[in-house]
Amino acid sequence: MAGKPARPTNAIDQTRRMLSLVTYLRERPGAHVGDVARAFGITEDELIADLDVLPLCGTSFRGGDLLDIDTDGDRIWWHNPDDVAEPLRIAADEATALLVAARAVSTLPGLREGDRQALLRATAKVEAASGEAAGASSRLSVTFESEGGVFADVDRAISERRRLWIRYYSPSRDELTEREIDPIRLVSVGHTYVEAWCRRSEARRTFRLDRVAEIRILDEPSAPPEIELRDLSEGLVQPAAEDPEVVVEVGPGGRWVAEYYPHDSADELPEGGLRITLRTPDPASLRRLALRLGRDGRIVSPPELADSAREAAREALAAYDGLEGDQDGPYDRQEQGL
Amino acid sequence: MAIAKAERLMNLALCLLGTRRPLSKRELRESIEAYLEAGSDDSFNRMFERDKDDLRELGLVIETVENLDGEVGYLARRDSNRLPPVTLDAEEAAALGLAAKVWQQARLAGAASGALQKLRAAGLPEDFDPYEAHGALEPHIPVHEAAFEPLMLACRDRRPVVFDYRKATAAHPETRQVEPWALECWRGHWYLAGWDRDRGAERVFRLSRITGRVRSRAGRYTAEVPDVVTVRETVASWAGEIADRSALIRLRTGSGYPLRAKAVSVRELGDGWDELEIPYGHGLDAWLVEFGPDVVVLGPAELRADVVDRLRAVAKG
Repeated sequence: MAGKPARPTNAIDQTRRMLSLVTYLRERPGAHVGDVARAFGITEDELIADLDVLPLCGTSFRGGDLLDIDTDGDRIWWHNPDDVAEPLRIAADEATALLVAARAVSTLPGLREGDRQALLRATAKVEAASGEAAGASSRLSVTFESEGGVFADVDRAISERRRLWIRYYSPSRDELTEREIDPIRLVSVGHTYVEAWCRRSEARRTFRLDRVAEIRILDEPSAPPEIELRDLSEGLVQPAAEDPEVVVEVGPGGRWVAEYYPHDSADELPEGGLRITLRTPDPASLRRLALRLGRDGRIVSPPELADSAREAAREALAAYDGLEGDQDGPYDRQEQGL
Repeated sequence: MAIAKAERLMNLALCLLGTRRPLSKRELRESIEAYLEAGSDDSFNRMFERDKDDLRELGLVIETVENLDGEVGYLARRDSNRLPPVTLDAEEAAALGLAAKVWQQARLAGAASGALQKLRAAGLPEDFDPYEAHGALEPHIPVHEAAFEPLMLACRDRRPVVFDYRKATAAHPETRQVEPWALECWRGHWYLAGWDRDRGAERVFRLSRITGRVRSRAGRYTAEVPDVVTVRETVASWAGEIADRSALIRLRTGSGYPLRAKAVSVRELGDGWDELEIPYGHGLDAWLVEFGPDVVVLGPAELRADVVDRLRAVAKG
């Protein structure tokens, strides 16, 4: 797995890291740059940048004894090791960040039981070692959503490199399709998804686990082609620039659309409405949205989409004509006995 | 070129950790190059105060001690800053390594790695690949809401806040004065629970509906913070997931899988339609309308009326 994406250098994070680094290096004369970078979860370049700063630091008050740390790019040497920094206690924010994440991960359905137990033990130890600093961590919590049984099967198929057969629900077409997929990885971003090579469409696809109606692990080996993994931190749905544009206007009751659909723009309208422009490879799939919005919004373009929603609503209404109690004209709820 | 902030902070931290006696501001100013170059007393003082706050933020306990002459001195005692002994085995270390990677928010990602690095310095076992050890699982905690960080800090420090909030169906935002208790992420969205001062009651807010900046207010909390804050239950009831009624619908054969998955009974009518009984809270009308002509609501009458109402709005469109 490649290192995490580079973050802009933050003086606080760097200081925190360098304080731990000196303690770590004291115990390991001649440590390898690559090993240290990996242990600290940073790139070698970030580590080298730290090593450039450290020789400028010291407990100078005692007479200018700077840390004599240097590297030839491969190994790191500290020529005047000193116990300047013992392992430092864990700060409140650090305890919160690590404990909240650990508790969230430990609730993931499908996490292997051995791993869950290890995580729970580790959490208890870190909590104890953090002392008072652990207190604030109760003010944040995270629940991952995923389907336990499906999750376990996907996880197993990935580690055993086997193909999966699934019956999968597509909400945009309101249909179940059967497909064979070669799973690549599981991703939890709010919901849990499996990224896979879909043999049917011969393409990379992302499947939401709670939409998997049925799953079976097949005997065939999984053989996804070598594909570059995307950075999914910005969301799973990443519309392409060439996708057709859809414009939706919503009233205050339809503002949620901007929260749920990735969009190019959302401009305020008078009276609390929004004009939302989004792109999708398949505008017809938004018929559901148009129907759902009711009087809280309408599709402005493309016109075919607006027409198809109107047509669907008329067809649906026709079914009520024949039922008892329905009248033309104003709808009277009192007459709707069954 | 100005001396990098990290270098300045590192020097201050090492001075404070290295000393056995409190060091005065004057002594610190004379020993740290960045402070010598700071220029005026004013700019040095501002820089020094900020730096102390930053070091405290990353966990350093800095004591302020007054000597006999009334001069203030600072030191970071070893014993109050030392991590208590903690021994983790390779499996536990791997599990923590996975957990430390889940934050998608810069401040918490930095803090989680910082905790892990401190444990690493204290001898946490390495030589593992968390992805190898945990199969293909990659959990992420998404944080897209700008209000998250100020509210997290306000919850931590128990500071009252004020923000503009637009309710789901409101045309305009309203100013809310809140004593924040806890933040919870559910289904990828963040919610805040706290005491709404104007309404004199507990409220849950969805962070994505906060408009503008979150501002801090001076003063203490006026309401007691409950031991257990139940954000998820409140949000579930908004989402209509607490079922207290039952609907009877006709559904075209082969369609509406999620409705079938929720149904307590499915009866084949044999004419291309099935009849389903579905437990529901609220919000079912909007969902049923999504299925267009594939769903016909039989009852209750109120639900049927709501669905017809919505369909008419679309048909007129």
